[in-house]
Amino acid sequence: MIDQFAFLIAEGFKSFYRNKLASFLCVITIFINFSILGSLFVVGYNTNSLVDFFRSKYSFEIFLKNDIDEDDYTDFMDELSRNNIIANTELIDKEKSAFIFKEEFGEDVVEMLGYNPLPLSIKVFINEESFEFDQVDLLIESINTYDFVDEIEYRGRYINDIEDRINLAIFLFLVFVIAIIFLSYQIISNTVNLSMTNRKDFIDILKYNGASGIFIKIPFYIESILYSVFGSVFSYLFIKYFFISFNTYFGVNVKLDDNLWLWIIGFSIFIGLYSSNQSMKRNLNE
Amino acid sequence: MVEFKNISFSYSKDSGVFDIDLKVNDSEFCFLVGPTGSGKSSLLKMIYFDILPSEGEIDVLGYNSRKTKKNKIHKLRKKIGVIFQDYKLLKQRTVYENIALPLHINGVGRKKIKYNVEEALELTDLLDCQDKYPNQLSGGEQQRVCIARAIVKNPEIILADEPTGNLDPAAAHKILKILEQINKEGTMVIMATHNYKLISDRDYRIIELKAGSLVSS
Repeated sequence: MIDQFAFLIAEGFKSFYRNKLASFLCVITIFINFSILGSLFVVGYNTNSLVDFFRSKYSFEIFLKNDIDEDDYTDFMDELSRNNIIANTELIDKEKSAFIFKEEFGEDVVEMLGYNPLPLSIKVFINEESFEFDQVDLLIESINTYDFVDEIEYRGRYINDIEDRINLAIFLFLVFVIAIIFLSYQIISNTVNLSMTNRKDFIDILKYNGASGIFIKIPFYIESILYSVFGSVFSYLFIKYFFISFNTYFGVNVKLDDNLWLWIIGFSIFIGLYSSNQSMKRNLNE
Repeated sequence: MVEFKNISFSYSKDSGVFDIDLKVNDSEFCFLVGPTGSGKSSLLKMIYFDILPSEGEIDVLGYNSRKTKKNKIHKLRKKIGVIFQDYKLLKQRTVYENIALPLHINGVGRKKIKYNVEEALELTDLLDCQDKYPNQLSGGEQQRVCIARAIVKNPEIILADEPTGNLDPAAAHKILKILEQINKEGTMVIMATHNYKLISDRDYRIIELKAGSLVSS
């Protein structure tokens, strides 16, 4: 049994070695495909962080009328805090508004006009986990009904647009990923096809001497695993060092998933085995 | 035992084998004769279930052509050695490796492989050629390698499809002698040939085919 298994393993390696040119081209193609696929994965992985970043910035500001008294806005803030889609609120009183104005425009508005015209406002931060635009819209609508509310500044819809574009990009990535997976499938399948055609005599001899289907297939499975492993290991190394260099050169922090190597190699082996199995089914008339 | 029960198989309207009823017993040596296209090879292919009859059925060593599932055919083939006219040797492997292949398929251990291969090489007088590649051998030697590969697993049946077709008379006689020797040890041998001169002085059963039908058996 061990001798038989050793024989099959050796046959797989011999087949890989004998079809040098086809094997080389297959490894190169898997390398290119999985380098693109892995890079897309890294981009997708970091895009999620970008979306989270935008979501963490979801907030709106309620400007209150000048005649509001302290009890009203304190009660109002308590009421807002009890709403579960609101993470927290921050009161920006007239003094703080003047300070922000000075920081942003370099002018002291009180000194300039002799009084503080800036309104009192409340900054409301949305809970990003339970965030839904419709709920925020409803909340804003209800806040607008209060007499002491002057105006609400809300930029969520702009962020929503950005998110929509990111989602579109992710969708296009997915289409691209599917195309690359299909291409990898075709290439491995065709290489195994070629390998089986080259070794038709070998397969016939195995068949006529009583080899079972699995016995005939194992060397070709091993061959396709070798294509996948070589191609994907090279592509993982390429991606890793590419993004390390990218981060260093542009001073950014593109993160790599710790399991990226496992994902790339595992997925590549899966595609390799699946496509070679399909190819063998065709060739062995199963 | 091999038994054809009223079998037919056609490639086209005029070619194939038709209504064959035939029985070959264990340890028997028989020649399958007939002109090219008479159906000799088809009949041999049916014995190792490479072709299945469209009508009738075949029983080979307890395997029935109707009842045996496709994924069980390999078990029957382990008991049959096939010798091809075109040798079907693997050019990138040495004589030793070519002969050892059926034993690897049967899961035989390395030591037993070495013993069995050397025995087959001795019987076919190829001991000096074991490290050579097929293209370094003559036609007769290549055919003997093919025979060695067929007998190395001690099959119950040897099917030889025109094994002397490409050989000179001396080499053809040598092949026939080897097959006779194998048969003496109890293996059924069915040899397809159209070389009547070669078999004329042999006293074995002759099964004659013409245009896919049995003329005499």
